Amino acid sequence: MKIFDKLREVIEGLTVHGQSTAILRVKAQIDNLFMLITLGDMLGVPILPPYYSLRLMPYVFPNIQNWKRYMLRERDVTDLVS
Amino acid sequence: MKGLKGLLEENPRLKVFIYAGKGGLGKTTLSAATSVKLSSLGKKTLVFSTDPQASLSDVFEQNVFGKGEVKIAENLYVMEIDADKRIHEYVSSIKKKIIDMYKLDRLPQDIEEYIDSAAAEPAMYESAVYDAMVDVVTEGKYDYYVFDMPPFGHGIRMIAIADVISKWVDKITELRRQAYEYGRVAASLKRSKLTYEDEILQELEYIRGRILKFRDIVMNTETTAFLMVMTPEKMTILDTEKALEMFQSLGLKLTGIVVNQVYPPELASRPDAPSYLKKKVEEQKKYIAEIADKFGKYVIAVTPMLNREPKGLDTLKIVAEELWSPKKRLEDYI
Repeated sequence: MKIFDKLREVIEGLTVHGQSTAILRVKAQIDNLFMLITLGDMLGVPILPPYYSLRLMPYVFPNIQNWKRYMLRERDVTDLVS
Repeated sequence: MKGLKGLLEENPRLKVFIYAGKGGLGKTTLSAATSVKLSSLGKKTLVFSTDPQASLSDVFEQNVFGKGEVKIAENLYVMEIDADKRIHEYVSSIKKKIIDMYKLDRLPQDIEEYIDSAAAEPAMYESAVYDAMVDVVTEGKYDYYVFDMPPFGHGIRMIAIADVISKWVDKITELRRQAYEYGRVAASLKRSKLTYEDEILQELEYIRGRILKFRDIVMNTETTAFLMVMTPEKMTILDTEKALEMFQSLGLKLTGIVVNQVYPPELASRPDAPSYLKKKVEEQKKYIAEIADKFGKYVIAVTPMLNREPKGLDTLKIVAEELWSPKKRLEDYI
């Protein structure tokens, strides 16, 4: 099995890796937007009443750290270029 | 004045009676009296309060605070929710869910702090109260519901933004679907597994349902009588004017006004009436005239200032009868 897995990863890397990374990047952006709307409260952007948005917390929990880091990251002009 | 009886005759589909207004005017007394009367007609009635000072417990002379639905008399049930406890349980269940789902020993500190600070917000308290209202009405066990509303804070804006929130939920749902599609494609390429997309969509639907239902309970004039309580005093007249403006901006329709704590004017015309009382009644006439002028079309009943505290079923019945079908006209008080 192990060798097959390795082989699969190699073929994956050669073929669809770029594609799936691009797709995941779009998904990450959508996810960020979603987090902002539902838990924006955490960063001071209240949209949903917190009583209800807390219900979503368990499902988005794993993304929270990354999302906060992404949202609170310092940005500068060079970000606009990339 | 048509009284509650008139309201029900005009609109037999009424199910919910909401008493609003600032503190100390007798919302709790009138809610209790309304429920006493409605239950005496053989209809199963729930009177619901969220007052942390447990005033319904005082009025009915029985501790019902945080005890769920308590039967007080035939067809009469009281519920005084402990909102703090409700929030605490709700928040704990969410924390526990996260810990169980991800098999953690404890929550990360920032998440714990966020949840705790969200729980401490005043808007949270109001949301919890409104959510409890939605619970009991949705359950539909009663013929009539009487709500003793807490003085409004920011939470009531929820009804104004119900549409906005509903649209947001549509948008969020759409976003979730997109994220799901992208995630699915990526996952099939990567052969990894997607998690919790269905649960998130379900939760969003649930949230939308609750908010729309709450708005319906408060705003549907077919089934809800939205009543304000006032007293013959300058300050409440000014407050009521402001409140009416706010209701208008929220799109809330006032069904009626009850003028409470009114001294029976005939007391002052007795020869042995003390000048203290005469003066009070004179002043009261002036303000009732002002109320008639400004809010005349809304006034459905005038309830008397009693010579004792409005406690216990027998005393409440006096208030209830006046509230149900007033014996006098509003002009008789001027």
